[in-house]
Amino acid sequence: MTTTLALLRTDWFSLAIAFAVGATALALTQPAFLSTFNLYVMLTAFSLSVLVALSQMVILAIGQLNLSVGAIGGLVAVTFAGAMDVWGLPIPLAILAGLLLGALCGAINGAITHWTGLNAFVVTLATLSIFKGITIGVTEAQPFYGIPDAVKAFGNARVGAVPYLLLVSGLAVAALWVFMRRAVLGRQLLAVGGNRHAAELSGIDVGRVIIAAHVLSALLAAIAGMLAVARLQIGQPTIGDDWLILSFAAPVIGGAILAGGHVSVAGTCLGVAIIVLINNALVLLNVDPFVVQLLLGALILAAVALSRFRDPA
Amino acid sequence: MAERVAVADRRVRLDLGWLASNEVGLALVTVGFFVLFWTITPGFSSPFNLFALTRVLAIDIVIGFSMMVVLVTGGLNLAVGAIGVAAVMVGGWAMQVAGLPLPLAAAAALLTGAALGWINGTATVVMRVHSFVVTLATMSLFFGAMIVLTEARAFNELPQSFTRLGTQRSFGFVSQMIFLSLAVGVALWWLFHHTVLGRQILAAGANPKAARLSGVPVERTIVTCHALSGALAALAGLMLAARNGAALPSMAGQLGMDWLLPAFLAPVLGGTLLTGGVVSVSGTILGATLVVVLSNGLLQLRVGEFWVQAFLGLILLLAVGLDRLRAHLIERRRR
Repeated sequence: MTTTLALLRTDWFSLAIAFAVGATALALTQPAFLSTFNLYVMLTAFSLSVLVALSQMVILAIGQLNLSVGAIGGLVAVTFAGAMDVWGLPIPLAILAGLLLGALCGAINGAITHWTGLNAFVVTLATLSIFKGITIGVTEAQPFYGIPDAVKAFGNARVGAVPYLLLVSGLAVAALWVFMRRAVLGRQLLAVGGNRHAAELSGIDVGRVIIAAHVLSALLAAIAGMLAVARLQIGQPTIGDDWLILSFAAPVIGGAILAGGHVSVAGTCLGVAIIVLINNALVLLNVDPFVVQLLLGALILAAVALSRFRDPA
Repeated sequence: MAERVAVADRRVRLDLGWLASNEVGLALVTVGFFVLFWTITPGFSSPFNLFALTRVLAIDIVIGFSMMVVLVTGGLNLAVGAIGVAAVMVGGWAMQVAGLPLPLAAAAALLTGAALGWINGTATVVMRVHSFVVTLATMSLFFGAMIVLTEARAFNELPQSFTRLGTQRSFGFVSQMIFLSLAVGVALWWLFHHTVLGRQILAAGANPKAARLSGVPVERTIVTCHALSGALAALAGLMLAARNGAALPSMAGQLGMDWLLPAFLAPVLGGTLLTGGVVSVSGTILGATLVVVLSNGLLQLRVGEFWVQAFLGLILLLAVGLDRLRAHLIERRRR
């Protein structure tokens, strides 16, 4: 009895039930749902979306908001593609360049937020425009087409229903899960989000934690951007344009408290899974794709209302 | 000894503090850039460019007002674009399909905007979450609902009586829509400086707890502000439709996000604090003017519209940073 109660209190259990119920319903009513190709499509969407969601989750953990997730993803994506297309950099170097650029963007976000004391929302709204503007300015809204075949192949290769992309995302998810639970910095992140003043008094270097969180968030967004290039097979400057809602919806559905201090990697993953499932269901049922927008908005409201209900603090 | 010091201190000092105010600074910078572009850019001073400039400015001012009235309460309204487009699609439908006369159709649009804003405000108050989250969700909700209901089709056979409003000029180079924006500005200024509701809004925004204890209906003022924001967003949408000559679902970008940058820049540059409780209508107008003059001038200089967005983001950062610095220095001087 107590195990059930304990399970119910976790962030992810009720979500897992919801996901299982939804998946079962779809499997029973739509024969195409369990086909290898359909599962592959869902897993690919999951691989990309989970990184975006985790990128935002890390910032929600410190009680802040990062609007520039999509813009960083887009900038790194075109830089990654452009480095290989225009400069002819070998793939490992291009990946390194992308990661470094992502880290730099994150460091800028974190540094400005910490040193000026400005609301991270405003800072990332401004950097969103700056990064997006640079992306469009450099590419002149034209994608980079000359992506090496190895990258393109990686983006579309699969073993049965499991895309190679999932390996990268899976590693990132596992690493982040360990980080949030075991690493000192991970615990410090949650401490700063939970009660910044108490964290400071406990001897935590709040500035370092904030900058580290933003760098981590940007790195995840950068990886997502590069995976998107592999998937799409071109360096599209519009990568990241539609990441904003998703990046908030999944962690919030997954139990993240917007005030900070409490996030759940498992919950976020399940949140992404539910969103991917809904998307897939709507395609199989031939429903208007914009209904997804509607549902996502409603889902966020419902999730927030539920979390207020659970924790009326 | 003490009396002589006291007498000496009672010299009359001319208070030039207002010269250092935010609004004057903004006005000076704007005039500076205007003169700069006038002299170095050939196309800038043409009557057509000035007309286009004042037309964009008229719309951006109202978008700025829409965000401003929510900023006063210490909240944010990310759904300005989504509400604006949704309301204008209702208006477009009313004009083109239902054949309603112009005033009724416009009223329908404004009411839709106010209703959507009312939903935002009520959700914020009832769920006791920050309006950021609520409007993030509703921006998706409203935009999605609008696309589903309109099937993403535009209304491009709007009556001439409406589309003509977007092309009227005065003095050959000033769009008449700017007079509408200024009239709205005067109304808002009067609201905040001369009405009880305005005082209540400022109090609720500055310190909700204290306001509540003083008898201000804080929750009701928040809902009112969001509804007002929605109505203003609808007005901006109508003006944009008049300018475009059609009601397009894409006029504010994906989820209405194209409006976010002008919506924030104008009030923030103008001195409306993000923390709430302080408002500056004239500042918002001046802030919008600066942004529009800069964007227009840069475009005329062939800087490339791509880089303008990056530049505006930089300005937002600088503006907020300077504001923070000013507040910090004022704090220090008080101590």
